Amino acid sequence: MNKRVTMKIGRIEEETAAVRTYTFYRGIPAQPGQFIMVTDLKGGEKPFSLADCTEDYFSITVKKTGEFTGRLFAQKAGDLISFRGPYGTAFSLSTGKVLVLGGGYGVPPLYFLARKLLADGAAVTVVNGAKTKADLIFTGQFNKIGLRQFITTDDGSAGAAGSLVDLVQSILRDETFDFIYASGPEKMLKALAPLLKKIPYEFLLERYMKCAIGICGQCVMDPSGLRLCVEGPVISGRQLERLTEFGRYRRDVSGRRIPLT
Amino acid sequence: MHTALQTNFLGIDLASPLVLPAGIMGLSYSGLAVAARKGAGMVTTKSFTLQPRTGHKGPVVAEWSGGILNSMGLCNPGIEEGLKEVHAFREGATTPVIISIFGTSREEFVKLARRTNRSDGNFLELNLSCPNVADEFGTPLSASQEKVSSIIYHVKKISRLPVIAKLSPNVYHIREIVSAAEAAGADAISLINTLGPGMLIDRKMGKPILHNRFGGVSGPCIKPIALKLIYETYSAVSLPIIGMGGVLTGEDAIEMIMAGATLIGIGTGIYYRGIDIFNLVNEEILRLLSDEGYDGIARIQRLEKLRE
Repeated sequence: MNKRVTMKIGRIEEETAAVRTYTFYRGIPAQPGQFIMVTDLKGGEKPFSLADCTEDYFSITVKKTGEFTGRLFAQKAGDLISFRGPYGTAFSLSTGKVLVLGGGYGVPPLYFLARKLLADGAAVTVVNGAKTKADLIFTGQFNKIGLRQFITTDDGSAGAAGSLVDLVQSILRDETFDFIYASGPEKMLKALAPLLKKIPYEFLLERYMKCAIGICGQCVMDPSGLRLCVEGPVISGRQLERLTEFGRYRRDVSGRRIPLT
Repeated sequence: MHTALQTNFLGIDLASPLVLPAGIMGLSYSGLAVAARKGAGMVTTKSFTLQPRTGHKGPVVAEWSGGILNSMGLCNPGIEEGLKEVHAFREGATTPVIISIFGTSREEFVKLARRTNRSDGNFLELNLSCPNVADEFGTPLSASQEKVSSIIYHVKKISRLPVIAKLSPNVYHIREIVSAAEAAGADAISLINTLGPGMLIDRKMGKPILHNRFGGVSGPCIKPIALKLIYETYSAVSLPIIGMGGVLTGEDAIEMIMAGATLIGIGTGIYYRGIDIFNLVNEEILRLLSDEGYDGIARIQRLEKLRE
């Protein structure tokens, strides 16, 4: 059984105008890639990947997108939040030379991952991509832990101009890696997958989740029946190849197929 | 699958008596397919309604030491999309399918049943017992003998598929209700739906955990109640029974059969033992049968029926 914990928000930091990181002073037994279900008990419970977790604290990064996250943005340090978990699969921690690819709001769980990889002695390169300079997150945090970081923005307002996929393509022309990790918009992941044929990789995927304990069927992916809340959210390249819905559609809150745009 | 597990249900041979019940994994074809691949002899869809439903806001489940509490709120893609999922499932599997439907009135049930006449389903299950939409629709229909009787009678008149009535445990007069279902023409009975509903509280926030406040109780704690209601049903009617409620092991499954069940549903058990639970329970049943010297589950001795 996973225990529900209700506790005070320890600290709130602004990453961008629409993205904030919430830190809670409590250790939980979580690994990079795993998620917790977060609620204010006012209607709505959403999954959040852990942006960091130690014996003393854990944090999640929230993007303001709707009613629920809007309420979270109105919260202050000291206000109560309730969560359950951790749930789901974690990234495997490779040694050697690894490449970590994060697009937009997909970046936070990769910070937790990169920190663990470094601690295990891996040589870590991060590619941090966003639409514009104003949307970039965690660049300072990555610099602080001492790894090589490439920055890319679609409009060229910071780092290399163009898509993260283009930059990754040019990096892979010059260098080879033992393992690749990625998290970000599904279109980005879909475009990345064909570039990674020769290198083992793991992606962190997103689907609408409700129960998070593998019974409601909401986040089951076609056609393999993978339950993203239990057999994901981190899946291997080999698992990904079997998911025909990847990059094509997802299911909405009622279970209807919605094409990915 | 081993022949000792083969079970005939209303004329159809199933490779295993284990069934994926309504509301578990059954939102999409691949959710049904994974249960079938993992050893379920039959699978049931999520209850489909005329229009798509988004269900309740979260939290929709709460875990506690005795089991889980859920109030999904009948989220489903609607009957049209739902039947497409059933079709996609049947394209890749031979495992029979029960299509579950939920209506708020006799007329809605009849309308939904008509749509399933031209579908790839093998059986039609009437969800007369969802405990989680009382705010919207009032007390579950299965609390009333008259409503149960009238809905089954009118659906039976038009349904091409054999009709299973899914009933609630939250009644004092199960024998009258199942007898009414039998008299109205039901082909089988499925029980129990979740118990209660119940409530769990977050002490620090001073609020119920589920956004719907109340939710159906499932898990090992409900097994004794399930066994009792299956036994009462078995004593009162001569219809085949899909029995469920708290089944986690082969022992539990055999107890369900002894109480009168023909098939056994496993839902919340997936939470406890993973999606492999169907294969695990199949193997456990086989081991228990061979320990007892039985060549098949048909040899399991039922309890003596309760007298009037």
